[in-house]
Amino acid sequence: MSPVLSAVLKFFAALGIMLVNGVVMIYMLRKVLGHLHIRLGPMHVGWKGTMQTLMDVLKLLTKEDVTPRAVDRWLFRIAPAVVFVPSLMAYAALPFSNTWRIVDLDTGLLYTFAVLSLVPIGILMAGWASANKWSLLGGMRAAAQQIAYEVPLLLSVLPVVLVAGTMNLGGIVEAQQGYWLGFIPGWFALNPLMWPTLLVFMIAGLVEINQTPFDMSEGESEIVAGFATEYSAMKFGLLFLSEFSNQFIMSALGVTLFFGGWTLPWIPAEMNHAFGPVIFIAKAYIGIAVMMWIRGTFPRVRIDQLMELGWKRLIPVSLVLIMLTGLFVKVVG
Amino acid sequence: MTDPRMDVTGVGLLGEGLHSPGEPPAGIRRAPEGVDGLTTEHLIINMGPQHPSTHGVLRMLVEVDGEEVIAAEASIGYLHRGIEKLAEHRRYDAVGTLMDRGDYVSGIHGELAFAMAAEKLMEVEVPRKAHWLRSLTSELNRLGSHLVWYGTFGLDTGAMGQFLYAMREREALLDILEAITGQRMMFNYVRPGGVLADLPVGVDTKIKAFTDTFDTYLEEYDQLLGGNEIFQHRVKGIGVIGREKALAFGLTGANLRAAGVDFDVRKQIPYAAYPELDFEVPLGSTGDAWDRYTVRMGEMRESARMIRQLMEGMPEGEHTAKMPKVIRPSEGEVYASVESSRGETGVHLVSDGTDKPYRMHYHGPSLYALQALEDVLPGHLLADVVMMIGSTDVMLGEIDR
Amino acid sequence: MLPDAQTVKSTLATGGAHDAEVAETTLGLVVRTQISVVIDALAALLAEGYESLVDFDGIDTGSSIELTYRLRSYSAGHEVFVKTTLPYDAEMASVWNLYPAALMPERETAELFGLTLSGHPNPKRLLTTEGVAPLLRKDQPIRTHEEVRRP
Repeated sequence: MSPVLSAVLKFFAALGIMLVNGVVMIYMLRKVLGHLHIRLGPMHVGWKGTMQTLMDVLKLLTKEDVTPRAVDRWLFRIAPAVVFVPSLMAYAALPFSNTWRIVDLDTGLLYTFAVLSLVPIGILMAGWASANKWSLLGGMRAAAQQIAYEVPLLLSVLPVVLVAGTMNLGGIVEAQQGYWLGFIPGWFALNPLMWPTLLVFMIAGLVEINQTPFDMSEGESEIVAGFATEYSAMKFGLLFLSEFSNQFIMSALGVTLFFGGWTLPWIPAEMNHAFGPVIFIAKAYIGIAVMMWIRGTFPRVRIDQLMELGWKRLIPVSLVLIMLTGLFVKVVG
Repeated sequence: MTDPRMDVTGVGLLGEGLHSPGEPPAGIRRAPEGVDGLTTEHLIINMGPQHPSTHGVLRMLVEVDGEEVIAAEASIGYLHRGIEKLAEHRRYDAVGTLMDRGDYVSGIHGELAFAMAAEKLMEVEVPRKAHWLRSLTSELNRLGSHLVWYGTFGLDTGAMGQFLYAMREREALLDILEAITGQRMMFNYVRPGGVLADLPVGVDTKIKAFTDTFDTYLEEYDQLLGGNEIFQHRVKGIGVIGREKALAFGLTGANLRAAGVDFDVRKQIPYAAYPELDFEVPLGSTGDAWDRYTVRMGEMRESARMIRQLMEGMPEGEHTAKMPKVIRPSEGEVYASVESSRGETGVHLVSDGTDKPYRMHYHGPSLYALQALEDVLPGHLLADVVMMIGSTDVMLGEIDR
Repeated sequence: MLPDAQTVKSTLATGGAHDAEVAETTLGLVVRTQISVVIDALAALLAEGYESLVDFDGIDTGSSIELTYRLRSYSAGHEVFVKTTLPYDAEMASVWNLYPAALMPERETAELFGLTLSGHPNPKRLLTTEGVAPLLRKDQPIRTHEEVRRP
């Protein structure tokens, strides 16, 4: 296979995963939230409402694309793309199994965070270009919170990198093989010394992808729909899709860094290799379900409290954690 | 004819004008201009009337510096139906339908206030059974109204689940109220002289089934929202309407009791069956949003207790006094107040001896809560605006009337 | 909730409202004052502990507009109605300095009875738009001419 063809195929594979993820996750969100809220969620379109999301995608595609008169036309048009493209790019380094990955990067972790940090630019563009006060507030909030939380998020994964000794996402999974005391899987999440790190990662990760309780940038009870207020039809669809996709990526990163990636314990390695992608995606969806659970029950944090938490608590805590992990690795390892 | 309100470009948000800078009401402060030599512009945000969380058609004009509120003004009147004027052209027994549409989430209280005023004018003795039925429906309605408040307060903070849980209980309540009154929200059940009808057969089992489970559910809800640390951080110390401010702005009901003032119309100016009931009045201390939350949750517990007492002690007898076909009270002027879900709902009724009221003034407590909000909002963040509208539980139906 | 009429009368007298009539009616304890001294009377009552304006409204009596202030003292558990009359289209002096609670009800009363507000920080209309007649006046029909006219 020529390298060009293979690259094109991989691109479409990533796009396919992203779109299918979006459709599945929207349906899942509706069902999970529905059952959390003692209702049923979609029931009428297809068996148990399975076709509902598909119909919604069709609806979004065929809806009129409204561009308000006062918007900055160019920025308004490219902003959804600027939000969408980085979250598509982030799929590149995910290790679906020991062989299934789009690119095998030695700095996969760094790359993923680097492309994800482009998303706020797009959101800020969308908020600014919309010429709407709610959008402006939403864009500013998104920029503030995401830039502030990039620091603790990156710092929180450094202990993992220190222990694993690599930034290759596949390598990090490999480092979690084996057992402690003979039967406890070597996942970092099962290591009590890693729990503070996992907690910081979870909080910062939720902020980074604008999820409840940190969804201030589109907090519907305060600023209507935030940066997405003026968007309609598929432009809104792109913003929406990239949000769900980011949710998947963050969950997949969590799985890779802390929960043993594509492997399951106590089964032979060949089985792991054969069913790697299935296990990986299933684990990521468990993470997503936890996010939806939080979304169904938690109120929203206020923006100043969020900033305080980030700068005054999480950053010092993660710095201390890095130091302690460094000492630990130096002394024990 | 064009509605001037539609002319947004001509009037503009600034054209509406916030408080004139010359004489700002007490408590509204202006941000210092040009901190560090940079001049920043304030943003005027138009929250409502179609904002997701302004509870109806309230429109808040909020002047913000970044996210901090500098000044706030409530612009109301979107729901003005002229209830007071219409009441002057309705016979006494038909005004109840208008009162339902005042505070439309707790209609019984409005009806009750009017019926009590009319009875004072006519000097009618209401049978004991009617008093008990009035208290029963009042408390059921108060629970329903507080559940709406609980749910929407949850929505205001961004928590979705609470609303749907509250709606489950409210659905049971509305079923009970429908069985008793024949309607879910616009009851027209409390009439001058008594109530429309006795309890129907079988409703007591419904009420029992409801009260049996309600207490456990309420504790669960309290833990779900009030037990959440994020929620506590959002409401504690926010929107403090202390004792002095609450009195100055004429607050009543739970908003006043949250500031530590022990005044409940049910205790201080007893009416209906309340003198015979055993209940407590929950009090707050500082008057912040958290106190308003705890006071209302406490009121729900007390209401459930009262409903149980009312069902156990329900007397026998007539449900209404003998009333003439056409009510013609003697000339006079009376005032009757009841403790509604939002505070003290009062009716100032003037009669000229005909079969229609000469003047009926409907006092909605939410109007007074709203102006207190205007005063305490400055200095808070934009996200707190919805929290405070939610915590004071303003109802636009009785503000605009 | 009824305070002693004599105490209220002496309170008013010290405040400057000498000719105030105090009477117990079906409404409660009603203080009737001239429009010129109503602010003095309210100030005297406020100083006496009537710290809250619970309700404020107007009545079109057919010859003038009657204003009713419902004051309450939570510490003493007393309640007083202060009544005053003023002619149509007159100027109503705001009492928000004494009772901030009057801010919105005064705006509402002024617009619905066709009065003008003086000394109010924000004397705009509250419920209706510019050009709407004073609706609560007795000479206002509840239907407009357009609605009544047959097609």
